[in-house]
Amino acid sequence: MAKIELQNVAKSYAALEIMSDLSLTIEHGEFVVLVGPSGCGKSTLLRMIAGLESITKGDLYIDSDRINDKAPRDRDIAMVFQSYALYPHMDVARNMGFSLEIRKEDKALKTDRVQRIADKLGLDTFLDRLPKALSGGQRQRVAMGRAIVRDPKAFLFDEPLSNLDASLRVGMRLEIARLHRELGATMVYVTHDQVEAMTLADRIVVMNLGNIEQVGTPIELYETPANLFVANFIGSPNMNLFEGAFRDGSVVISSDNPVSLPDYDLPAQAVHFGIRPEHIRLAEGDRADCTGLVEVVERLGSDTIVYANVDGWGIVVVRLNGTADTQIGDSIGLHFDRAQVRLFDADGKAIAHAGQSPTRQ
Amino acid sequence: MITKNDNAPDTLPGRFQARFGRLLEPYIYLSPALVLIALVMFIPLIIGISFSFQKYSLISASGPEWIGFANFEKLYGDRRFWNAARNTLFWTVCSVVLQFSLGLGLALLLNRPFFGRRIVQALILLPWAVPGFLTGLTWAWLFNPIIGPISHWMFALGLFSQPDSLLADPQYAMWGPIVANVWYGIPCFGVTLLAALQSIPDELYEAGAMDGASAWQSFTKITLPFLAPMIAITVLLRTIWVANFADLVFIMTGGGPANSTQILPNYIFTTAFRKLDFGYAAAISVALLVLLFIYAGILLHMRRTLVKV
Repeated sequence: MAKIELQNVAKSYAALEIMSDLSLTIEHGEFVVLVGPSGCGKSTLLRMIAGLESITKGDLYIDSDRINDKAPRDRDIAMVFQSYALYPHMDVARNMGFSLEIRKEDKALKTDRVQRIADKLGLDTFLDRLPKALSGGQRQRVAMGRAIVRDPKAFLFDEPLSNLDASLRVGMRLEIARLHRELGATMVYVTHDQVEAMTLADRIVVMNLGNIEQVGTPIELYETPANLFVANFIGSPNMNLFEGAFRDGSVVISSDNPVSLPDYDLPAQAVHFGIRPEHIRLAEGDRADCTGLVEVVERLGSDTIVYANVDGWGIVVVRLNGTADTQIGDSIGLHFDRAQVRLFDADGKAIAHAGQSPTRQ
Repeated sequence: MITKNDNAPDTLPGRFQARFGRLLEPYIYLSPALVLIALVMFIPLIIGISFSFQKYSLISASGPEWIGFANFEKLYGDRRFWNAARNTLFWTVCSVVLQFSLGLGLALLLNRPFFGRRIVQALILLPWAVPGFLTGLTWAWLFNPIIGPISHWMFALGLFSQPDSLLADPQYAMWGPIVANVWYGIPCFGVTLLAALQSIPDELYEAGAMDGASAWQSFTKITLPFLAPMIAITVLLRTIWVANFADLVFIMTGGGPANSTQILPNYIFTTAFRKLDFGYAAAISVALLVLLFIYAGILLHMRRTLVKV
């Protein structure tokens, strides 16, 4: 277990600066997930913690030891790679015990540890196989086993599930969650899959262009995104976002149908109006805030996703429970749950309303 | 069963033809190569082997005649043959071991990033592109005490009591062609091993670093096992090639002094084209061929136990 602290960390390749000033503290035993679009710097950040990338500026501490200049082998951190990076010429047992072999640990102790971890991961019958004779899921387990055997201070995961098919991914996700519970170790996990992020993380770090956009628990990010980027990035289908203007207690998106927002007390200004698909209900007559023409209906069984075109707004996505009988071509009235409406200012920053604590940045 | 109709008796000949065609197909594609190999390899090989069972000398008055194993019996008692065989072993082992270890070192150096790496990688191949004849001549001159510097350097270093030619000393003359051969053969090992090194995924080294491996440990536990199959095959090919490589010895020492650098390919060449005794030369060739076959068999067997990745 370890506390990992990044202070004003920067990274550049020659003249190209990809991370300018980033600070983050990961507490003992915390599971932190780094998410963001590709190229946002999340993998680079992970590799900087691992020691595989140098840190151009700033400080990296583990348990208050500054480890910027320590080689990866001296950091006592384990990493699970996207491609697993198993040694193809070693069988599963040797792969898992490699770090102990390197440290010239006692043979009996090594065999015993490998056996115990293999039992735990359901690998006990594969110990004498080479990686090429394993399925993707099994390789993934070996890669995790190799990390666990060492009993390191912290675990780093670099998109570990992205090479698995969908059903295996769900299984491994549960397994990683279970492992974290059992080991209680500090884990840093990089992914671009927000379901993984939402389900695994104690805290999520949303990154974009080398900066941290927001840090928070999954529900905090979902319910009170700090800015447009996070609002857009977290949640599937995406939050509905429309440009409009706030005037006299209402948001005006197109000239007709102003949406009254009594909770907000703002001067007239340009705003972005955001609402998640599940916070829109079908409504008749006066109760409807606007009317849309249904263009696409996706029936998922548990939910029905309706894409309705509202004049002057664009497409509004609505998530209805169960199998709604809405049909393509229907004209539907939409009502927005006022408590769930999120406003962002012209720069994309969230605007707090009365009775809502400001979002944690 | 729907497929039952396929087994109806009236379709049998058609099925047989189709199956036969499928069996034959690969051989049709292979036939041009097979014909060529037969023409330039197998037929001359068989004729050559047949020579070894004949008395076949251009200077004898009688024509060729079959004499069974007489050539091989003569070979068994031939001191010059055994001397040449010993020299061949020494020449081959020293050349290949030095070429390999220096070539591996070169490959490891070239695999690190440095300025101008691509140009150096290309330049390094140059010795390999020089004809063996020219290499031999240049090195012979370098060793020559009148026009070359090496003898004087050796003298200055105290290795020689006077600046004599290394090539004139029966005890050490073999080292002359070996040094030339090592210079000539390093690029071959260097370039093939470099290619193999570059095929090792970086991630394995990263995983090794995370697992705590030092540079030496990642070399012995990751790099070497990965290179092993490539090492086996290049060493095999180089050994066969070096054991058959007559140019350098022929040019630099001509087998002398006092047969101290006589190796089998030179002995074969002299026997065939100086003494014009093709029968006996063929017998020596067959002996060399058998030795190399045994060697190749052992090495290929060893290679099978290595992991292919």
